[in-house]
Amino acid sequence: MMSLLPSLPTIVALVKIGLLVGGLMTAAAYLVLVERWMAAWVQDRKGPNRVGIPLTKIRLFGLGQPLADGLKIILKEDFTPKHVDKVLYVAAPLVLLAASLAIFAAIPFGSSLPPIPALGLTGEEPLLVAPGLDVGVLWVFALSSIAVYGVLLGGWASNNKYGFLGGLRSSAQLVAYEIPLGLGLLGVVLAAGSLKLDAIMNAQASSGVWYAFAQPLGFIVFLIASFAEAARLPFDLPEAEQELVGGYHTEYSGIKLLLFLVSEFLHMVTAAFLIVIMFLGGWHLWGLTGSGPVETWMVALIRFAVLSAKIFGVILFFMLVRWSWPRFRFDQLMNLAWKVMLPLGLANLVTVAAVEEFRPQLVTALGEGGAKAAAIAVPWAVFFLGWIAAGLLTPSGTDNTPIRTPGPLDAEHVLGSRPHDLLEA
Amino acid sequence: MIASILPSISPGTLLAGGITATAASLWLLLPSGRSGAADRTARWLGWLLGIVALASFLATGHRLGSVGEEAVFLTVALVAVISGAATVVSRSPVYAAIWFAMALAGVAGVLLVLGGQFLGVATIVVYAGAILVMFLFVLMLAQPAGLAPYDRVSNEPLLAAVAGAVLLGILSLSIGRLTAEPPSCCLMSGTKAALLAGSGSAAEPTSAAEAGIDMLADNHVARLGGELFGRHLLAVEVAGVLLLVALIGSIAIVSRGAADAAPAAARRVAP
Repeated sequence: MMSLLPSLPTIVALVKIGLLVGGLMTAAAYLVLVERWMAAWVQDRKGPNRVGIPLTKIRLFGLGQPLADGLKIILKEDFTPKHVDKVLYVAAPLVLLAASLAIFAAIPFGSSLPPIPALGLTGEEPLLVAPGLDVGVLWVFALSSIAVYGVLLGGWASNNKYGFLGGLRSSAQLVAYEIPLGLGLLGVVLAAGSLKLDAIMNAQASSGVWYAFAQPLGFIVFLIASFAEAARLPFDLPEAEQELVGGYHTEYSGIKLLLFLVSEFLHMVTAAFLIVIMFLGGWHLWGLTGSGPVETWMVALIRFAVLSAKIFGVILFFMLVRWSWPRFRFDQLMNLAWKVMLPLGLANLVTVAAVEEFRPQLVTALGEGGAKAAAIAVPWAVFFLGWIAAGLLTPSGTDNTPIRTPGPLDAEHVLGSRPHDLLEA
Repeated sequence: MIASILPSISPGTLLAGGITATAASLWLLLPSGRSGAADRTARWLGWLLGIVALASFLATGHRLGSVGEEAVFLTVALVAVISGAATVVSRSPVYAAIWFAMALAGVAGVLLVLGGQFLGVATIVVYAGAILVMFLFVLMLAQPAGLAPYDRVSNEPLLAAVAGAVLLGILSLSIGRLTAEPPSCCLMSGTKAALLAGSGSAAEPTSAAEAGIDMLADNHVARLGGELFGRHLLAVEVAGVLLLVALIGSIAIVSRGAADAAPAAARRVAP
């Protein structure tokens, strides 16, 4: 049984990994360009439009910009400050990048390919690196929790108080928003009855109801939490150079900084994938993609195109939000996570569980169509109720009035109401 | 391979030798507050003995299906074992925590290779992703300036090493008696095929996989959940109540702290 040649499944998996990593890295480079174009469009200027083919005068709308940017940052001095913990300083960006790439093992990047008998692939070939992984959603969740290490270690190894505080801040943010993120995921998992992301897409395709329509509250909670997990505006405290002296990567430069930034960008791409796959139907589009097994190459290509277009749309939304919202203050960010997102996520989970539990009774009482309509109407009612409740009950700490901390010489502090205050005075 | 070079030594002897070498290596490596040069010699000897121990463990092991499987399994297993040793012998608490995270990643890798998908991922989510991050928070916040002496040396290195060796010996004896036949080859190939080829086109299932290793099945998590909430429902509920009690306790502690500081907080709200 000792065979030196890798088996066919191994080769297929390696090809998929190569395609995925190559595609993701190229996409990340070009998405930076798209982001700069988006910024220029929002701010009514032209944006990068000059770099084209090197050594010629051909501009190509600035499509050479990512290459030039990459070269520039790679050729920069890779400076390591004297006071850092060298091992962890180098390890932190690597951990972050490895975790954010490994997430994609469980994320499908299309529906599946029809059988290719010429290569010995007799079954439908799913466009997913690890199709046998039955715990896809948990895998994504586990590896995004590993990303906290990169942030925490980067801040600690820098041996710089601003970097350290930035690391603590970012990791507290990541840990706090993992809970609403998980609650949003749980609603979908409960409705689809599977932890596999491709099974979740199939469930939406076969019923024709995307979970964004069936679970609006879960969708909003998940969307906001994934903004926070990807550290995008309005949650991008690590980028706050002016007011907070940056974040966990203050002491980083050159290619190590690039690794941090690329992983943050990959987090955004992951978030876009998850939003599309779990809430926006994945590769499904009514009347275009069908919902059955893939028989022809045409269907496979259309589904791949639909999924890619949706993901690109969500990424554009991420970028548009970046230029539309101011940054949160840290206490506002934490209040939002624990006092708004967590209860809303729980409300969504309870609603979904109730709807799924009573679905058979609904079908017997209202018929197939009526049950479907009721299963959508009830969550929307909860959504509006939750929205109003959150608006009315939001703690006042989330408004922008400054919190006044009494100084040591304030009269009210010296003559406080407590007896020992008076004694001390 | 090594076993074929040393055919005269029985696996039992190899195992006993490996365990002894492990204990000696840990005893030498544990921070015991020796002086500089002696400490360095002890550490070199310790690492050397550790390698000997690992080699003798490898020599007793059963060979797995194919080269690829063996390489993957050996990588994750070595990561787990070496990181586990490094956790206890490392001098800095932060590094110890990082090594512990590596050991957990290795254990999760072993579980994934053996088909325990849910356990593998849950190890990462629960231990590496939640508990250890809290450890790191505390370590980093608590000790900004150097370490206390009682953190730098290990109190009873000899007793600790002997206790570890005894535990290791008992465990390997009992597990060895449980699995008289080497099960790893069949388990591995079935798992790997299921992992790589997916549900539809899995290679022919081997006897061990057919014999009812539920976790290799396609609906692995669903079966696990059914088992947990069917046969072990009471245990799950009791664990839930225990966690609830812990939660209420922590809230009680926190709110007592808040009550002491309440007058100050009340003043702060006033504009």
